[in-house]
Amino acid sequence: MSSANIVAAEHLSKWYGQVIGLNDVTLGVPAGITGLLGPNGAGKSTFMKLITGQLKPSKGGITVLGEPIWENPSAYFRIGFCPEQDKFYERMTGREWVTALVGLNGVSEAAAAEMAARAIETVDLSDVADKKIAAYSKGMRQRIKLAQALAHDPELLILDEPLSGMDPLVRRKTIRLIKEWGRSGKSVIVSSHILHEIESMTSNILLINQGRILAEGNVHQIRDLIDEHPHTVFIRADHTRELAREFLTDAEVLSLKFEDGGVVVQTGRPDVFYARLTELAASGELGAIHEVTSPDDNLQAVFQYLVKS
Amino acid sequence: MTNRPGVLASAVRVFDLSLGQMLWSRRSVFLAILVGAPMAMAIAVRMVAVTRGLPVINGAGLSGPTLFGILIWMLFVRFVVPVLGVFYGTSLIADEVDDKTITYLFTRPVPRSAVLLGKYLSYLACVVLLVIPSVVVVYFLIIPIGGSVGQSFPSLLEDLGMLIVGLAAYGALFAFVGASLKRPLIVGLVFAFGWEQTVLLIPGYLKRLSVAYYLQALVPHAMPQDSSISALLQVFQEFPPVWVSLVSLTGITVLGLWLAGKTVEKREYVLEQ
Repeated sequence: MSSANIVAAEHLSKWYGQVIGLNDVTLGVPAGITGLLGPNGAGKSTFMKLITGQLKPSKGGITVLGEPIWENPSAYFRIGFCPEQDKFYERMTGREWVTALVGLNGVSEAAAAEMAARAIETVDLSDVADKKIAAYSKGMRQRIKLAQALAHDPELLILDEPLSGMDPLVRRKTIRLIKEWGRSGKSVIVSSHILHEIESMTSNILLINQGRILAEGNVHQIRDLIDEHPHTVFIRADHTRELAREFLTDAEVLSLKFEDGGVVVQTGRPDVFYARLTELAASGELGAIHEVTSPDDNLQAVFQYLVKS
Repeated sequence: MTNRPGVLASAVRVFDLSLGQMLWSRRSVFLAILVGAPMAMAIAVRMVAVTRGLPVINGAGLSGPTLFGILIWMLFVRFVVPVLGVFYGTSLIADEVDDKTITYLFTRPVPRSAVLLGKYLSYLACVVLLVIPSVVVVYFLIIPIGGSVGQSFPSLLEDLGMLIVGLAAYGALFAFVGASLKRPLIVGLVFAFGWEQTVLLIPGYLKRLSVAYYLQALVPHAMPQDSSISALLQVFQEFPPVWVSLVSLTGITVLGLWLAGKTVEKREYVLEQ
């Protein structure tokens, strides 16, 4: 395994009682941006928790940036983590929260405030930084979580489903931010159950299912497979029905249905669909788009295909 | 690279982060109502005293200082302090785990024991802010009923000191229980209101394995004979010297925190998906 790997796992296993979370994984994650792709329950979160030292391996070993991570708090100077859960200290403002967390890195209060302000600006939340987190939209909450992860300028950013719930414009900005981060020589490990998201950030992926790494490397082969399966997207917007009407004319849209105050669209061409959605959001002609999420049915089908083949 | 902050410096940062959350939590609102009960009781007693003279129990008139001593024993030492210790102490880490915010604290370059210590300091500040106003208000309402505020003032300071020492010891002990067990609240309540109360009634050395034994020795008021249990306690009354109590309670606090810190360092917290 290359010494340049930012994460190295040797026969890494994690089980919760009788349930296997991760099963005998040996891998090396190279520097740069790496996407961790897998359906819900595949083992992504377990892997994320192991590489952030929240869980102790049941078997095998793991190093992050060349150091063991379990019971090694010093390693967190070099790592920023954005967890999946939508949980905060709701009574604090975004600025207070990020400043307090950066303060735990041992910097002075003034430096923490400055670092927090810079991170908040990076994620485009300066105008709402002094509002309580409880008043933030889903997209803002995702971004403030991202701000706390990158505020101390870590070498490695670990992002668990960072784009979940973001509207198309913020999603595009966040993808750009992650790519810039990679270009500046930092490393990013980003998880998602949506290939399209991962593909827009990197071509280097780890494909995980049922606690095992199924494939490592280039995204294009996986993309060919996934294109054979329809992709499902849930959208919640100011004018959901008008938005749905726009999609009806698009050839790549296979079906539409209204659900939970939004519209569920099935498309055969996710890249074209997302580009169109971003255009519509940017034009603003159909009002604001508040939430875009994708269930992982299509990805599950690809994994079943991969496991069988 | 920034130098790794020490345990104490990190604990102070965690304290800053946690105090507001703890003060305005639903638990604090509920326990503030609980701690407010003695104040309501004191207002009622004062009104009775103003309108009908000294309160009479078993045919004897009670002076303010005696009544205040009874309230300190019955409400604060035997009930409020253990309840606050159990409810806050067992939840120091458990609340963050339940709220899934523990991730933010455990993925920072601070030892987990510093997180626990910071949360413990928040607990201490929070309960002191709840208890002291209650005791002081009760004091100023009750003592003037046939007593002198000035003369009794030193014993008020002793009361406050004793209650803080008790809150510190119970909090540290239950922090360890909370860090170690999956259902710490039940165990904590059984310990505080089962074990602690029972061993005090048993002659011999067993009572030395309780916090209450040492805490009672610091109460500057005579133990009231309010019930058959209290009468029994009077029979087996055996108070250690004050210095032994202070050393023991400090020992319980330090040992409780050390064990809790070690447990948190080693334990995995698996958040529910």
